Amino acid sequence: MAARDTNAPNPAFYALLVALVVMSAGPIVLMLATSFKLNVDIMSSTAGLFFMPTIQNYETALCDMLWYEVEHIRRCDPTFGRALVNSLIVATVSTALTLIIGCMAAYALVRFRFMGRDTVSMTTLMMRMVPPAVLLVPVFGIWTFQYGIDGTRMGLILIYTAMNLPFVVWILQSFIVQVPIQLEEAARMDGANPFQTFFLVVLPLIKPGLAAAAIFTFRVAWNEFLLGNALADRNSRTVPVTIVNSLTEYDIDWGVIMATGMLLAVPPIIFTFVASRQIITGMTAGAVKG
Amino acid sequence: MPEIVFDNVEKSFGAVRVLEPFNLHLDDSEFTVLVGPSGCGKSTTLRILAGLETLSGGEITFDGKPISHLDPKARDIAMVFQDYALYPHMNIARNMSFALRLAKVSKSEIDDRVKRTAELLNIAHLLDRKPAELSGGQRQRVAMGRAMVRDAGTFLFDEPLSNLDAKLRAKMRTELAEMRNTIDKNMVYVTHDQVEAMTLGDRIVVMANGRIQQQGTPEELFKSPVNRFVAGFIGSPTMNFLDGELTEADGALRVRGDGFDLPLPEALATRGRAHAARTVTLGLRPSSVTLDTVPGAEIELRVVVSEYLGAQSVLVTRCGDEEVLVEANSATPIAPGTTRAFGVLTDELMIFDRESGLRI
Repeated sequence: MAARDTNAPNPAFYALLVALVVMSAGPIVLMLATSFKLNVDIMSSTAGLFFMPTIQNYETALCDMLWYEVEHIRRCDPTFGRALVNSLIVATVSTALTLIIGCMAAYALVRFRFMGRDTVSMTTLMMRMVPPAVLLVPVFGIWTFQYGIDGTRMGLILIYTAMNLPFVVWILQSFIVQVPIQLEEAARMDGANPFQTFFLVVLPLIKPGLAAAAIFTFRVAWNEFLLGNALADRNSRTVPVTIVNSLTEYDIDWGVIMATGMLLAVPPIIFTFVASRQIITGMTAGAVKG
Repeated sequence: MPEIVFDNVEKSFGAVRVLEPFNLHLDDSEFTVLVGPSGCGKSTTLRILAGLETLSGGEITFDGKPISHLDPKARDIAMVFQDYALYPHMNIARNMSFALRLAKVSKSEIDDRVKRTAELLNIAHLLDRKPAELSGGQRQRVAMGRAMVRDAGTFLFDEPLSNLDAKLRAKMRTELAEMRNTIDKNMVYVTHDQVEAMTLGDRIVVMANGRIQQQGTPEELFKSPVNRFVAGFIGSPTMNFLDGELTEADGALRVRGDGFDLPLPEALATRGRAHAARTVTLGLRPSSVTLDTVPGAEIELRVVVSEYLGAQSVLVTRCGDEEVLVEANSATPIAPGTTRAFGVLTDELMIFDRESGLRI
């Protein structure tokens, strides 16, 4: 009897699970369903799960990128398509920049002895503690009045790189520490200069760390709203900013917004899948006697 | 194949002096073994020579040219590391060719040299594999191949065999000894294993506590060690040390201690007489003690353990409270617990000043 009691599934436990699943998956399901509905279906009071699915909303969002003429709209509004391109460029370039600068900075912090090394290491981490909202006003001022790079993709790339760099440096440090120092010494003996040692020996071994950092950086750059909203203009807006800006008091096209939302979710998923394939353990197996 | 000279080289890590200033002269194409217990500074010496550590004072010259300011790559040195240090993301062929590729050697020559070296070391069938797929012995060969393929003037070995099991180590040791005869290079080899040092070295440098204790051929070190440390370090089983005093009786100098009273041969007696100190330590090689009694030079030993090794046995015995190892022919069975007289070949005795440890 006692055994049965402990093994018996507790209905409350399942209820909790269901509640959690609904809370997390519900909005996504709702968004997915809505993105396939016409506005009449969305707004109708008899709205439900039964509707005629349509890809019209997606066609509207991507109208200027499709190879065929979309019939149901009179004028193609390029806002969403442009925002997607902006988002892709900003996120990819800032991720690449962050990784390139981050891995070199992390390597220097781990392997080189120089004055103020620990201070730099600590400060890097503390930069991470500054909330973006605090950065907003000064960054806007500097970007606009000093450099005039507000409203450009370059401006966004720059601030996202700066925001993500501390974390990337910090996470890559822990990966670089694990690369056996003998490998670098062997490379030096083989005639490699510091750059060759780093790029040919160390970098291939910290690929898992780079992948983890890339996933993180890409997601942050992709989803960022606050600074994007302040710095971007009409032509450089990213998707999150565009979505919010299309909620006007005159017209809210829920179907297109939801379709854009779904499209917004796809690139990070693909990126994560690709990058996470690089996260394999045992990269340094066989290097030195364990 | 330069002539390498260490001139007053010293090394400190912060306030810790790890190498006292020393001089060392390594001849062209000589196989030098640095040997000593852990922490004696032998690896540091090697790393200074390699350029992986800077020196705190003095200078190293190759054929008279100072090189201590040079990068490792400018010193024409190849090194085999203790724990292999193979690049795990490259296959064996690429591991071996790494240095050549950095040096922009032509592809056909790289292939040729890698292939030739791999065949020499019996690893030609492994060239496509990654280091993780290799056994310890194979990795060790690759590490050596990586050094050999470069054809550098000087080879450094940092305890290359210490991670191998006993059987493989003996095999690789023999191969190294063979290789030494065929390759005309300077080789500097670091080990803590005196057997490796004795079998491989043209010249052995015994180090302890950051100082060079003695350098010389294996035979010199075995037959005339300068002090008690070298005497105890070189030779297997290790030398026995018994505290005693020099006494003069009937015109002969004897060394007397707890449980023994042995006459010294004339040459040793002359040196002993000239020496002021009377308190000495007697050094007795396990091979100098025989089962056959020698008239006038006997020692009473109680056998505690008999370690049977085949043709030979090592007897662990007691002389008073001191442990004495005896190397004996195992044909004569000796039961533990027996006490009997052993002969001593007095010609092979050594005496050391008990204070300074120097050989008299």
